[in-house]
Amino acid sequence: MSTDAPHTGQLPDDAEQGTSLWADAWARLRKNRLALFGLGVIIFLCVVSLLTPWIAPYGYEQQNLALGATPPSWQHWFGTDIFGRDLLTRVMWGGRMSLMVGFVATGVALVIGVLWGTVAGYAGGRVDAVMMRLVDILYALPFMIFIILLMVVFGRNIILLFLAIGAVEWLTMARIVRGQVQSLRRQEFIEAAHSLGLSRWRIIRKHLIPNSLGPVIVYTTLTIPSVMLLEAFLSFLGLGVQPPESSWGLLINNGVETMEEYPWLLIFPGLALAITLFSLNFLGDGLRDALDPRSSKD
Amino acid sequence: MFKFTLSRLLQAVPVLLVVITVTFFLVRMAPGGPFSDEKAVPPEVLRALEAQYRLDLPLIQQYFSYLGDLARGDFGPSFRYPGRSVNELIEAGLPASAELGLYALLIAIVIGVLAGLIAAMRPNTAQDYIPMSTAMIGICLPSFLLGPLLVLVFGIWLEWLPVSGWGNIPGDKILPSITMGSTYAAYIARLSRGGMLEVLSQDYIRTARAKGLPERVVIVRHALRGGLIPVVAYLGPAFAGLLSGSFVVETIFQIPGLGRFFVQAAFNRDYTMIMGSVVFFALLIVVFNLISDLIAVWIDPRLRNPSRGGR
Repeated sequence: MSTDAPHTGQLPDDAEQGTSLWADAWARLRKNRLALFGLGVIIFLCVVSLLTPWIAPYGYEQQNLALGATPPSWQHWFGTDIFGRDLLTRVMWGGRMSLMVGFVATGVALVIGVLWGTVAGYAGGRVDAVMMRLVDILYALPFMIFIILLMVVFGRNIILLFLAIGAVEWLTMARIVRGQVQSLRRQEFIEAAHSLGLSRWRIIRKHLIPNSLGPVIVYTTLTIPSVMLLEAFLSFLGLGVQPPESSWGLLINNGVETMEEYPWLLIFPGLALAITLFSLNFLGDGLRDALDPRSSKD
Repeated sequence: MFKFTLSRLLQAVPVLLVVITVTFFLVRMAPGGPFSDEKAVPPEVLRALEAQYRLDLPLIQQYFSYLGDLARGDFGPSFRYPGRSVNELIEAGLPASAELGLYALLIAIVIGVLAGLIAAMRPNTAQDYIPMSTAMIGICLPSFLLGPLLVLVFGIWLEWLPVSGWGNIPGDKILPSITMGSTYAAYIARLSRGGMLEVLSQDYIRTARAKGLPERVVIVRHALRGGLIPVVAYLGPAFAGLLSGSFVVETIFQIPGLGRFFVQAAFNRDYTMIMGSVVFFALLIVVFNLISDLIAVWIDPRLRNPSRGGR
């Protein structure tokens, strides 16, 4: 998706307004310690995830059956599982998967939701009514049941997992964008673009989407944690990520089975998931306050 | 009010129809049927089974006969539990799920509203940050993590409460109710904080304060009514979700509820049971959304707009 800023020279006002908005938002965000902390944690986790294949202390499948499950120690910071595999390594690999699902599925939701909402809001009239009625109907579907059904029925593969989660999460995005676009399309600079003879698609891409970006960014940040929760939940049921791949949900599921004897196998993956969700939610809240000062918390 | 209720119920019909249709064809598109993984069923037995459950008819015909049964309130026979109907299975699972849901809801409302109120009274102070950060933890600890952690601490390490079961040992309902209620409590806390902040900045609250009413009366008698509207709107779908049971909580604590039935049904390809759960759940959502809308109208007279029927 192209999100280049509107600096085409046709509408210099627009570009100027854009910069000041972003600078303003950044200034507000910088004052919010919790949001900054969240941002820091997310960046740290992303870097670690990217570098995992090179910096993981042990091999992902490296077993040490003689060692077995040991509590945290200097050699194994998070301890080892029943096969003597290093838990820190597995949490790192699991995080790679969890974060990837979070970002990719949110990306799917983002693309569908933004396009759908923009077209509906821009077209208006009957097209809008039909498109939004469809969203309403999909809202009424019991989602958990729907996704479980999809995963059971069509087999358990990652691509489908992305699609299924993305397919569920785009609805709210579409609503937000539609509302935004509806209020934008009556403004003068869109009229001006029209009279300059820009094609509809170009107006949508160059003007409507960039200008409704604020709420979209906020909602995206808040969608990522809910997607990660969904993935963890599905993996916990055995419907999501399949072994030998790993994710935090899967590790938690394994940890629960042996929590009485080896509690660290539950606690560390759980902690990793909770801290990540925590950071993303705080960042999202902070961004909302920064980008969209009118809307209160919730 | 009556007209409003009626029109909302009529609106629900097409929605339910779409839900039923999508689920029906989605389930049937799946490779493999409910009897396909049985160990070598003789072909004639398979044919007899399929005839018994009308699986031999064309799909469209099956669809319409299913709709006809539904209209009469009949969810059909279960494919996996021979001799038992889906209605019976739902009846068997509902009491435990509903009871659990009710306790969870009580916990969620009491804790959530109190936390939200406390936070909204002094925004942006420690009195706000502490309950709201706690609420964030509640949102970030999913039940499949919180449940086992609670069991580990209170059931296994401290040995204060039983680790599982439902209604057998005193106290065995406490941990599942807390596990299930905590996420909802967290959302309710955030919603009621937001709602209260909005209301507290309005003129009629200033008037009430200017009259010299004590703060307690201002909050309880005047602000609460308007401030809790977002919470009421949230409670409808939340209650439907709570009532139909949570698979995770019911599995962790071994509670014989609806949530477990559904996931088993999905794994077993038990067509009618899947359909029954979906339709039942969709019905619950429709009914409880309506109830929460009606309550919202009752609380907030501004919503009683006769010209547009209110929303």
